[in-house]
Amino acid sequence: MSSPFSINGGACVAMVGKDCVAIACDLRLGLQALTVSNNFPKIFQYGDNVFLGLTGLATDLSTVSDLFRYKVNMYRLREERNIAPKTFANLPFICGFDSIGCIDFAADFIVSGTATDQLYGMCESLWEPNLAPEDLFETISQALMSAVDRDALSGWGAYVYIIEKDKVTKRLLKGRQD
Amino acid sequence: MPGFDFSNYNRNAALHARGVPLPKATSTGTTIVGCIFEGGVVIAADTRATSGPIVADKNCEKLHYISPNIWCAGAGTAADTEFTTALISSQLELHSLSTGRKPRVVTCMTMLKQHLFRYQGHIGAYLVVAGVDPTGTHLFTVHAHGSTDKLPYVTMGSGSLAAMSVFETQWKPQLTQDEAVALCSEAIQSGIFNDLGSGSNVDVAIITDKKTTLKRNYIKPNERVPKLKSYIFKRGTTAVLNEKIIRKEDLGNFVSVHELAVEETGDKMEVDA
Amino acid sequence: MDTLVARYSRPAYHENEDFSEEERQGLVDSVPSLSLKFAMPPVAHPSAWLRAATDDRSNPSCPIKIAHGTTTLAFRFQGGIIVATDSRATAGNWIASQTVKKVIEINSDLLGTMAGGAADCQYWLAWLGMQCRLHELRHKRRISVAAASKILANLVYQYKGMGLSMGTMCAGVTKEEGPALYYIDSDGTRLAGNLFCVGSGQTFAYGVLDAEYRYDLSVEDALELGSRSILAATHRDAYSGGFINLYHVKESGWEKHGFSDTNPIFWKTKLEKGEFSNVTSDLSERV
Repeated sequence: MSSPFSINGGACVAMVGKDCVAIACDLRLGLQALTVSNNFPKIFQYGDNVFLGLTGLATDLSTVSDLFRYKVNMYRLREERNIAPKTFANLPFICGFDSIGCIDFAADFIVSGTATDQLYGMCESLWEPNLAPEDLFETISQALMSAVDRDALSGWGAYVYIIEKDKVTKRLLKGRQD
Repeated sequence: MPGFDFSNYNRNAALHARGVPLPKATSTGTTIVGCIFEGGVVIAADTRATSGPIVADKNCEKLHYISPNIWCAGAGTAADTEFTTALISSQLELHSLSTGRKPRVVTCMTMLKQHLFRYQGHIGAYLVVAGVDPTGTHLFTVHAHGSTDKLPYVTMGSGSLAAMSVFETQWKPQLTQDEAVALCSEAIQSGIFNDLGSGSNVDVAIITDKKTTLKRNYIKPNERVPKLKSYIFKRGTTAVLNEKIIRKEDLGNFVSVHELAVEETGDKMEVDA
Repeated sequence: MDTLVARYSRPAYHENEDFSEEERQGLVDSVPSLSLKFAMPPVAHPSAWLRAATDDRSNPSCPIKIAHGTTTLAFRFQGGIIVATDSRATAGNWIASQTVKKVIEINSDLLGTMAGGAADCQYWLAWLGMQCRLHELRHKRRISVAAASKILANLVYQYKGMGLSMGTMCAGVTKEEGPALYYIDSDGTRLAGNLFCVGSGQTFAYGVLDAEYRYDLSVEDALELGSRSILAATHRDAYSGGFINLYHVKESGWEKHGFSDTNPIFWKTKLEKGEFSNVTSDLSERV
């Protein structure tokens, strides 16, 4: 019997750069060995520049991401402002959570999903401080692609978001499809 | 207090018996210590958080705020130490507001032990509670099942044996503040180097009746040597199938709430910052 | 001395092949016992013990992780036999290798494929190669594919229930049999057939193969079909991938047709032929 964390597969990674952050996910949705979909993004947007990457059981991703959307919308109506404070734009910031809510405030990178071990290895060697947005894109992309190429349950393409003060760039990567 | 839901406990136990692995929680395979000195108390912790065999966070914070004069060092399940201390901190603040008195360390310790005992060890928080209040200087340990100890020097976590060996050989009564800080950081370093579950840096908090000083990363004995060469890829290395740029001014297209002109009459709603 | 030499030397071959009953018995006895002696763990039920230690499906943290997860296929057609495999080895979800040789060259005429336990397949197909060579030396002619596959089937049957894990295909072309293809697995099953796919990706390979397969396929089309079937399986099956290993077996022996990375083949197939339209190459309108 398999763990709910690895039935559907999937990988996510976030990195800090100079005046920017990046977040990336793979696109696979599987049922154990069978790849059901190759277009299942795991990054959700909750405001101008607030992004959440989720990995684990697909049904829980849908439930949790929808619940958050509901909560963010309610917050926005109640407070009459977006959930991201203005200061957020000037403060590139990433953090991670384990499944029971322990926050990992990282100054460098956060990883999650079935390719965690591989991602830790890639990020630990490729990441360096103060990467410009274009360099951060190459670093996070190469880290993710190399990691998922060694994980049977994730891959099949990737989305990468580069979040800067004044713009967000989303790219679809050409990844291995096996 | 909003409670935990144990309705899936039996189901999960049955699944586990059938071979479904437990979800990996971040745990602080940890070394935490505390030591009383003349006029105050010191607590210290390492900064490694682990998830199974993986170092999940190389510089996490294990010294938790309870009140200005009471701090906690946490070992065990990271989320549990984080949320238990936050919960008790909040309750203690309300308690002190309602009594109009400064919070006491025994009160904090009692609230923690009663909370943890209620959950019979399922909340995996192992804590060192330290503080100075009008009744004096105090140092306690609280275990996940609810038992407590009151001692002049304490250690907890997977590195507690290594740390205790330092205290048992070097501790003496009537330490000065500097001696206590040195002894505690020595004990933590003993955990960092001899216990696989502990690592990275030393965090120290010094509490006296005058003030509390938090020394984050007081000692950094494991700084990563900068890479001699850079792994920055040449721009254009990654094959991209498609790209989309959203500029801030365009973001309005994706947000459903628009700014409305507000009439400047009557009382304005209070909005923080 | 001469008597000693006479006792231990035999003529290279008999002019007359007519063996007496005794000689025939002697020939059979000279074949080493099929049941080789292996060191067994000192426990009550070695096979159950092995299963407990190696079955990562029921126990993901089992101490020994056997590499498996595969797509292999072989089919008969007018020009011989096509054998194709992927090249991925996985241990749990970890991709242990992308460059595994899952086609085992038993000898210059016979091919075997590897699915299940890699060590079991490599060891017993190498052993089968020895038996085939011994057959040639004794009988001065090539072994038939039927006989070779039966040696292997009989062998695995002797070890039935003891933890062997193999799903293999034996392919060869002989004058007597024409293109001959047999499926043998560790349960002891031995089947002759036109077309087999074996492994975790077998269903996906069957899907493509069944749709396009005909016995009178040209060599070029047959090679393309083998390759395309493996590509489909590597795409949908998480435990198959890496490179496509392609062989063509003819009466003159087998011929290798490359060990090619699936990645460029996939994108070529998608972009030039418009297949695999399920894979996005455009960003959706939603951000």
